[in-house]
Amino acid sequence: MNNLFGLISKIGAPFTGFILSLGELARLLFNILFSLTYPLKNFFLLIKELYFSGVRSIVIIAFSGWFVGMVLGLQGYNTLERFGSLSMLGSMVAISLLRELGPVLTAILFASRAGSGMTAEIGLMKATEQLDAMSVMAVDPIKRVVSPKFLGGIISVPLLTGLFNVAGIFGGYFVGVILLRLDSGTFWSQMRSSVSLHDDVINGIIKSFIFGVAVTLIAVYQGFVAKPTAEGVSLATTRTVVSSALIVLALDFILTALMF
Amino acid sequence: MNKAAIIVDNVTFGYDEASPILKDVTLEIPFGQIVAIMGGSGSGKTTLLRLISGQYKAQKGKVYVLGHDVAKLSHAKILELRKSMGMLFQFGALFTDMSVEENVAFALKEHTNIPDSVIKKIVAMKLAAVGLFGTQSMMPQQLSGGMARRVALARSIALDPAIMLYDEPFTGLDPISLNVASMLIKKLNESLEQTSILVTHDIETTMKIVDHIYFMADGKLIDGGTPKEVYETKDPKLRQFMQGELIGPYNYEYSTKLNYTKYLGDVN
Repeated sequence: MNNLFGLISKIGAPFTGFILSLGELARLLFNILFSLTYPLKNFFLLIKELYFSGVRSIVIIAFSGWFVGMVLGLQGYNTLERFGSLSMLGSMVAISLLRELGPVLTAILFASRAGSGMTAEIGLMKATEQLDAMSVMAVDPIKRVVSPKFLGGIISVPLLTGLFNVAGIFGGYFVGVILLRLDSGTFWSQMRSSVSLHDDVINGIIKSFIFGVAVTLIAVYQGFVAKPTAEGVSLATTRTVVSSALIVLALDFILTALMF
Repeated sequence: MNKAAIIVDNVTFGYDEASPILKDVTLEIPFGQIVAIMGGSGSGKTTLLRLISGQYKAQKGKVYVLGHDVAKLSHAKILELRKSMGMLFQFGALFTDMSVEENVAFALKEHTNIPDSVIKKIVAMKLAAVGLFGTQSMMPQQLSGGMARRVALARSIALDPAIMLYDEPFTGLDPISLNVASMLIKKLNESLEQTSILVTHDIETTMKIVDHIYFMADGKLIDGGTPKEVYETKDPKLRQFMQGELIGPYNYEYSTKLNYTKYLGDVN
């Protein structure tokens, strides 16, 4: 009988643990939302976070966007050539980027570049008692440390997505028009006529905003719950990257089903 | 108003109720005194400090700080109460992304509307009080362990708190830094009219500056008194601790029932 109970609790433990984590995540989100006036009043904190998570991600995002656009241009060229629709290359590159690849890859890259950094910083502050020290000085760490990072993240991700898309479109242009000699006018005019502001651009921005909230929330949460040891912090940063990638892909499916 | 600055009344606390870290601890700390809480590692000293600062809430019993029942205070009220408390952490816990000046100015900037030019002057005074005037622009990584501890001390007294909590303030300090730290604790307690609680293992240094010592073992308060009374105690646990003896009621082995032959094999 005891073995049976042991087995049931072993099977149930991951589920109850998962539900508990969701509850903690929701509580953290509410606490952050109630603290968001703090980084707006202390603007220098927000600027600092925008610099660390946004500005310092520009190079990796622009390069990745450029290469993804080039691959799209190359693959698109090979596929569309078979159907005699090479004129659609610009539209294909732009729509793929704006709707899916831009928001998804930017969020995953952001989680790897800035999210893991947020987790490590908060985790190390916890391990070295800096969060406790702040709390004992009557300053709420969620207000002072977490809310500026959260706001910085949700502002940065849509902006970086825009940059990824622009770099990607120019990558596609470089391969299609400059290397493979497609007509430049056709590339741009087809893109303009088939890309819709509402369906493609705005929906893409909404997606990137939602991904920004998810990725930044996971990053700060993992930092907060990290065990205060070197191994604990290392595990937490890995979890940030893995959970963010999975959540972004799952959310992308749901949002795509709802939007398009 | 209570006569004591801090009252711990029959407190029990543990992360899980089956194995409490503190068991029925009762003590009083009068205004203006320096009180040491001593005991072996894992005896519950730091936990007691965290209960006093409101970081933990007692499962049983009450903790009163400056007349407030800590468990009954809302989060906002606890934050308010903490403005009257300073805490020095074992390794300083300085904010590593801030300079010495920003660290010391932190609480002043968060809780007061004092102009920056005046804050700079207050920070200089606090640093001078701990003998570190001139280190304002240094980063925590550039400081030695003893200096970092003193900067943390300057930071914790920035708001002139009525109560100071010191978590192992003497650990890992060289003899000079040790004397400086103990002298500072005594001096600050007198000049700022504070009540101070020290959690420490350092018997010799502590004896010189404290008014009263409480001794803890296995989560319980087992003895207490003035330094003289503690020296003359007949309590076997306290005597063993004071004299650092290997043989006595404390066993330094984690398990006393080790079957060595299981690991080493039968030598015969």
